[in-house]
Amino acid sequence: MFEEKLKEFEPIFYPESIAVVGVSATSIKAGSLWVMDLRSAGFPGAIYPVGSSGGRIGDLEIFPNLRLVPGEVDYVIVAIPRQSVLELLDDCAAKNVKAVHFFTAGFSETDTQQGRKLEEQMLEKTRQGNMRIIGPNCIGVYCPEHRIPFLMGILGEDGSVGFVSQSGGIATKLATIGIARHINYSKGVSFGNGIDLDASDFLQYLAADPKTKVIGAYLEGTRDGARLFSTMKAVAKIKPLIVWKGGRTEAGAKAAMSHTGSLASSATIWSAMLKQVGAIEAHSLEELTDTLLIFQRLGHGRGTRAAIIGGLADGGGGNSVAAGDACLENGLSVPPLSFETKQKLSELLGEVGSILCNPVDVSQAQFRGLATLLQAIDLVVRDTISDIVLIQEDIEILLPIYSQKGLEEINGFLIELAGMQNKPIIVVLPPGSVEAERLRIERKLLAASIPVFSSMERAARAIYRLNQYCCRREAS
Amino acid sequence: MVKSQDLLTEVESKELLKKAGIPVVEAKLARSKKEAVSLSREMGFPVVLKISSPDVVHKSDSGGVKLGLANAAQVGKAYSEIVSSIKKAYPQAQIDGVSVQAMAPPGVEVIVGMSKDAQFGPVLMFGLGGILVEVLKDVSFRIVPVTERDAREMVKEIKGYPVLQGYRGQKPASIPALEQLIVKVSQFVEKNPQIKELDLNPIFAYPDKAVAVDARIILE
Repeated sequence: MFEEKLKEFEPIFYPESIAVVGVSATSIKAGSLWVMDLRSAGFPGAIYPVGSSGGRIGDLEIFPNLRLVPGEVDYVIVAIPRQSVLELLDDCAAKNVKAVHFFTAGFSETDTQQGRKLEEQMLEKTRQGNMRIIGPNCIGVYCPEHRIPFLMGILGEDGSVGFVSQSGGIATKLATIGIARHINYSKGVSFGNGIDLDASDFLQYLAADPKTKVIGAYLEGTRDGARLFSTMKAVAKIKPLIVWKGGRTEAGAKAAMSHTGSLASSATIWSAMLKQVGAIEAHSLEELTDTLLIFQRLGHGRGTRAAIIGGLADGGGGNSVAAGDACLENGLSVPPLSFETKQKLSELLGEVGSILCNPVDVSQAQFRGLATLLQAIDLVVRDTISDIVLIQEDIEILLPIYSQKGLEEINGFLIELAGMQNKPIIVVLPPGSVEAERLRIERKLLAASIPVFSSMERAARAIYRLNQYCCRREAS
Repeated sequence: MVKSQDLLTEVESKELLKKAGIPVVEAKLARSKKEAVSLSREMGFPVVLKISSPDVVHKSDSGGVKLGLANAAQVGKAYSEIVSSIKKAYPQAQIDGVSVQAMAPPGVEVIVGMSKDAQFGPVLMFGLGGILVEVLKDVSFRIVPVTERDAREMVKEIKGYPVLQGYRGQKPASIPALEQLIVKVSQFVEKNPQIKELDLNPIFAYPDKAVAVDARIILE
């Protein structure tokens, strides 16, 4: 479904040439930054800076007018004042440009007659010229595979997560959190006012895009609810779709005469709509990215049976209890370990002081050396009673016991084990008093595709959302 | 108060719903005390009388509803009382008469309604009726068109679902009948875009069927 979008959107996500309009040789303008970002990202196609000043930017010539660019232009990034956009669209049409991204703001979002009128005129010119518009008032596309960064040179690794965002600020956060947490994107887009291409168009494209396996979205509203509804319904059937709706608490309750009307707030309706189309609702940036991280790692696999190691050294008892609660409250089951595993663990650790059920407390291992701890972890991970293993590491406790070298070994072992066993290992690293060390370990694990969360609750909630999705799919 | 032409009376609303195949307790308009008595005989006692006025939205709050009237004398008395208390509460209201309907045996009270969302158009609501809908807001919503699966999820989603299954010896409500009713309401509002809001409140659900006891339709 939506395969026709692939060809249509090729010049947007894989342009062979990009012209940036609004570049100056002398002063730093947004357009100049875009040119430099594309250059340093290693964009593989031609880059044509355009600006009335002429001159050069770096090693590139600035063309005084788009029409003077010698080669073909697929895609244009526009960072000029709004008074000049209509004229520019004529130039774009003359150059046979396929798509135009307007960074330029000051249109309908200012809620002025003038802004709205200008958008109508832009749309008309775009239709005549057989072009597509992204924006205005947005930061446009992000495509690590084709080396297209977000503004300020933000560019992460190429991956399988796609996103759409109405807001440029949230789009940027998604990209940067992606870099930090190794949520690797196939494509992203911030579409701003969306006067031509909007959420529905990009969702359809991402549904068809073979590189994208899971889709995240930040939306505030829509101009065409019926289209968004039917699009989401179709898209969520093809790929997991996680949506964070911003602006849930809008004021201005309408005067309603029926019970139904008075109870139907916009937030309630959005939540119902998302349920109805089979999307997963996230309520914050944190929830959205947590869920994307879990989907990226676990795909469509269900993980309802959890083995939990609440702590690798002292303090694991209370953590284990809390971890068990977090999992059970989020629809995970925490089944007892098999008889065999329990027996082997008690041989290994001795029964005193350690809870050899599930959640497992393996803190006794600290008195028997690192190899014993690794063996204990190995036993728990291999036990077939679980689909998924959650391990909490409190770095400030582990560091004095095992030293930095020991921590390296423990986490190296987890990475190795996760690679060997076909079972997801999820690590919880709560913030504490040795942040630098904790962050180092977090990066190492994330880089090896082990999802890391700052609390058991966040991990459990993200897994819950995955299971919800899988459950619904199985039911349909 | 609303403009007369926007609010259909209970009798008008129920006629439309009945034509659409949505089960309702039929109501007929009596323009006089005499007519009320003869309609009551026709429908069989006990009956319910309700004020019929396009200007009165909350009928029971202003003494506009009389339940469980067992004979002609009670019906006659109720007619006069209703008309006089409405005249007192809403001196300007246009009074068409009273609606007469058979008193439905008690069932599980639920509500089905429709309102229009600025972005997604008509949406349906389902919940337990009575004060629960207002106080606890234990309701579920879906966007029209509502499929059978959507209706099933709507009914299951409310926290009060166990009440529908028959709690503590209470008779259960027919879940399939409720689902069918929801789907039919969805089809009805889809075919009638001029309807702005709709309340079937209450619907009485029984082990084998569900019937709208009161209905209100507001036009655009």
